[in-house]
Amino acid sequence: VTRRRWALAALGLLGLAWALGGEWVSIHHRVPENHLLDALTGLSLMGGGLLALDRRPGNRIGPLMFAAGALWFCGNWGNLGWPWLVPLMFVGSQAGTPFVAHFVLAYPTGRLGTTFERLAVGTMYVVIVGASLGFALTFDPRTVGCACPAPPFLLPSRTAADLFDTVNTWSGILLIPLFLTALWLRWRRASPAQRRSLAPFWVASVILALVYLIGIFVSKDESQGFPYLLWELRAVLQIGLPIVFVAGLLSTRLAQSAVGHLVVDLQTPVPPGDLRGLLARTLADPSVDIVYPLDGTDRWVGSDGTAARLPAPGTGHGARQVTVVERDSRPLAALIHDPALDPQLVRGVAAAAGMSIENERLHAQVRAQLDEVRASRARIVAAGDEQRRRVERDLHDGAQQRLLTLALALHTARRQLSAGQTEALADTLARANEELRLAIDELRELARGIHPTILTDAGLGPALQSLVDRASIDVKVEEVPDGRFPATIEATAYFVVSEVLTNVARHAAGSSATVEVGYHDGVLTVEVVDTGPGGADPGLGSGLRGLQDRVAAAGGRLTVTSPAGEGTTVRAELPWIP
Amino acid sequence: MRSLLIVDDHDGFRSWAREVLGQEGFRVVGEAADGASAIAAARSLRPQVVLLDVQLPDMSGFEVAERLRNTSAVVLTSSRAGTDYGARLARTGAVGFVAKAELSGAALAAVLAGGSP
Repeated sequence: VTRRRWALAALGLLGLAWALGGEWVSIHHRVPENHLLDALTGLSLMGGGLLALDRRPGNRIGPLMFAAGALWFCGNWGNLGWPWLVPLMFVGSQAGTPFVAHFVLAYPTGRLGTTFERLAVGTMYVVIVGASLGFALTFDPRTVGCACPAPPFLLPSRTAADLFDTVNTWSGILLIPLFLTALWLRWRRASPAQRRSLAPFWVASVILALVYLIGIFVSKDESQGFPYLLWELRAVLQIGLPIVFVAGLLSTRLAQSAVGHLVVDLQTPVPPGDLRGLLARTLADPSVDIVYPLDGTDRWVGSDGTAARLPAPGTGHGARQVTVVERDSRPLAALIHDPALDPQLVRGVAAAAGMSIENERLHAQVRAQLDEVRASRARIVAAGDEQRRRVERDLHDGAQQRLLTLALALHTARRQLSAGQTEALADTLARANEELRLAIDELRELARGIHPTILTDAGLGPALQSLVDRASIDVKVEEVPDGRFPATIEATAYFVVSEVLTNVARHAAGSSATVEVGYHDGVLTVEVVDTGPGGADPGLGSGLRGLQDRVAAAGGRLTVTSPAGEGTTVRAELPWIP
Repeated sequence: MRSLLIVDDHDGFRSWAREVLGQEGFRVVGEAADGASAIAAARSLRPQVVLLDVQLPDMSGFEVAERLRNTSAVVLTSSRAGTDYGARLARTGAVGFVAKAELSGAALAAVLAGGSP
């Protein structure tokens, strides 16, 4: 900060030297004008620019304003009469005008928000700089009786010089209405906060533009009479413009007293959800919003816990600015507000409301977690229903069909017995026997899918080994702790492995997997790593989603790491302290 | 002997039903595993009786029964009990229902004769 201030001070001194030097040249060459007013005009622009550079680093308003002020003195330096300097300084003195138009329209973001604004400002740069450059290159001062030497880079043409001079004099008739239209449109899309702080600035800009417009139609000789009056009025307005601008900046500084009122308001606890309104009143920006980060995620939620999004920084209509409030370098909240607000004021308000922000953040997180629990509860119920439907379907298509054919076989056997067809009877009974055996197999498989007895009887290790033995892919069990865990924990761990192996067999056939179970520091971790293609999305697959719910219901956490081309790792952490 | 078409998507059931009913008073002229081929087979084979499973992979047995109403006498069958389907059974073009567990030539003949199985 200090180094920046030193640099700004040095720039200020350079600007002052440039201004005073220019005025000295004008006085020395007896140029008939009000030197004090002239100096103040340029200096006030440079001063306003420096203040903006100091208060809004990174914003283009400061450099634009400072440049407009510095260019103001080009005309004075031109009075030195040096052949190469005169045309250069002429162009410089003319170029100041588009810079002024530019920073007026670019307030407060420093960027032009619409295509029309860019078009208007671009046209002003091109026409004004182009015409004065053309004039400087083609005008030979000797043709109007000047005894001065010719400029070193002259392409003399009387016709061209006259043409450029005409453009220079009359282009304002088009350019000024263009600027006023852009300003009017800018006003229409301004936020209430911008209108309040910028109204004087814009009114002054409009009057200045109108004075320029009138100036086009009066004599070019500004040393006396009505033209001089206009010149003086213009000078006063131009001095006033940066002052009004600075006042706008300072008025937001004055608004910091509002922080004091906020502190008083916060003496009584703020109900969750009411903080936004309080901040909006304090910052005088009804569009203020406040959102909170969800711990352990990159998601944001509103004060009611519903999902929220941070707006992308924009420049155009309805541009929003995000100020992230941090504590211990961790985000605590984000204020979304009008870019016209003073950043220091926003931070001040956020600091004053720190405790309330923290309270509302906790409330929002609890609400978000509650919503998540509700959603997962609904999913668990739906998953249970779906599982019952699946069991019914499996029973109907499997064992029940076997038993039905068995009934038909026994019916046939009875007929064959009474008809004395012993050979056919033996064959029928053999087929009936086979149907019965298959029915028993299917029932056993189904029962194991509902709950594996081996898990209850022998624990996680043998159950996982039995699961792996029956798996259709190549699986290795690395390590499983010997001890027993609560039934819920064991069942959850078992179904994580079972579901993941089913997924691997379905989506990554031909790959192999490793299962590793460990118990450390009160947490049972189950990890299944496969050599499949990876790229699994935990948010999409209903199987993984169901596992996530199941693990969460047991108080644990399920993470899926699946970089494309590098296999998938599913890891469940189930806390349990004996 | 009445000609019979058996419609069911389970191979095992079809072959046992063919064996049982073929021995007990019916001439099995064809089998079909889904609704579409059942309708096609009924049109070409013109069976007097169609034994039709309620649950088929492509359409419901009720729908098939409606389409075969004027072609053959349709008897619906299912591994579920007739009461599971409630009034729907009465509204179809079928002449009756026989549960798979109770299937026999006599049961089918009883349904066709107008009595309940």
